[in-house]
Amino acid sequence: MTPTTSDLIPLIVLTGFLGSGKTTLLRKLLTSDLGGETAVLINELGEIGIDHLLVGEIAPDTVLLKSGCVCCSIRGDLKDAVVQLFSRRQKEEIPRFRRIILETTGLADPAPIFATVLADPMLRHHFSLGVIIAVVDSFNASLHEQLHPEWMAQVASADRLILTKTDLVPEQDHKTLRKHLRKINPTAVIMANVEVKEGDPLLLSAGLHEDSPEIEAERWVRNFTHPIRLEDDHADVHKGHADSEHPNVNSFYLVFDHQIDWTAFGLWLSMLLNRHGRSILRVKGILNLSGSAYPVAIHGVQHLVHPPVHLPAWPDADRRSKIVFIVRGLERESIERSLKVFCKHLT
Amino acid sequence: MCALCGLLGTERNWSSSMASSLPMRQQRFLRIAQANRILGFFRLTLEDFQGVSYVLSSPTGRREILSDFGQLWPVAETLAARPIDPLDPALLTWLSSIPR
Repeated sequence: MTPTTSDLIPLIVLTGFLGSGKTTLLRKLLTSDLGGETAVLINELGEIGIDHLLVGEIAPDTVLLKSGCVCCSIRGDLKDAVVQLFSRRQKEEIPRFRRIILETTGLADPAPIFATVLADPMLRHHFSLGVIIAVVDSFNASLHEQLHPEWMAQVASADRLILTKTDLVPEQDHKTLRKHLRKINPTAVIMANVEVKEGDPLLLSAGLHEDSPEIEAERWVRNFTHPIRLEDDHADVHKGHADSEHPNVNSFYLVFDHQIDWTAFGLWLSMLLNRHGRSILRVKGILNLSGSAYPVAIHGVQHLVHPPVHLPAWPDADRRSKIVFIVRGLERESIERSLKVFCKHLT
Repeated sequence: MCALCGLLGTERNWSSSMASSLPMRQQRFLRIAQANRILGFFRLTLEDFQGVSYVLSSPTGRREILSDFGQLWPVAETLAARPIDPLDPALLTWLSSIPR
């Protein structure tokens, strides 16, 4: 039997460079009541600095925090760690957590984590992918961007971008960084660490697997359909653009007035990702499909696409299909033309 | 299992997992027909195999069994011995010229 959305445990990915402030953010999320239903998978328990929050060790490599959260270190691969945690939960050896936060190593690309959950039959039936949170060190962002290609992968794949160390940079630089991140990833919610509340539901979110997935889907296209004009920002984010510091990274969104045939779309996107998956950092969309009264949300990272989710309602009055792409070295015109030909001539 | 056509819902590929009012076997044949419009450009043919797998054939007689639609494009590129790119203008011209 296919599990329903409410049966699935969301796996939230927390990524960001070493020293960027992942642990500070994690502590903020864990010390609240809402965080008491959270299990955290980290690479090394000693690194997280949560001694003052500890109750004690409840199983090998697993500690219980005062808030009721469970922290577990990953000894082998990710799949084994998640399966073991789930098994202990089912045996009631540890509290019955409702979500997992996976803290990645600094140089991790979130795409393989996506692949692990989607490819494994056991994980697929018990877990869903929650939001991807990327922590961006405001002070060192420019340096990280220049030196590490993983920085771009983390920023492009994120659903939430959290800026840390904002007090160390001048106000103008902070605004410029926000604008820069918005250009790279117009689909993400951008917040400073100080704006994050304890146990912030925006961060501890199952994303499309929440009770009202249309709210999350609406966030994806909001910045294109209702451009946010930051102070001193005269760029037209509505039309998409190539970023000046990353001439090859481009984000844009396509709008289709006509209903889309799912079979033709599936063939087209699977072909595109097979050939150009490395160049497609993120794709997200709300589709108006022929034969369906309600929209369908799709999203993918590089070669991988999450199973489509039927939304119970349209996010707004606009019934057109909208697809956001964050790509490297691909032209909007060629992607748009290709999809139009496939939709028109395959059906 | 689909009560109408007796097919087990075994496909794991994301593009197969959409709820539809059509019976699974009908969805399957529809998808094969659409895929063959594309594959015709590369002189490849896709057929159903017992409702559970697919057979991809080249004009030289090479055949590959696919258990899942997710395997289609990598295997097709091997049989066609060339990249299969949906952005290729020649492919788009070919698709536009097929009578509907």
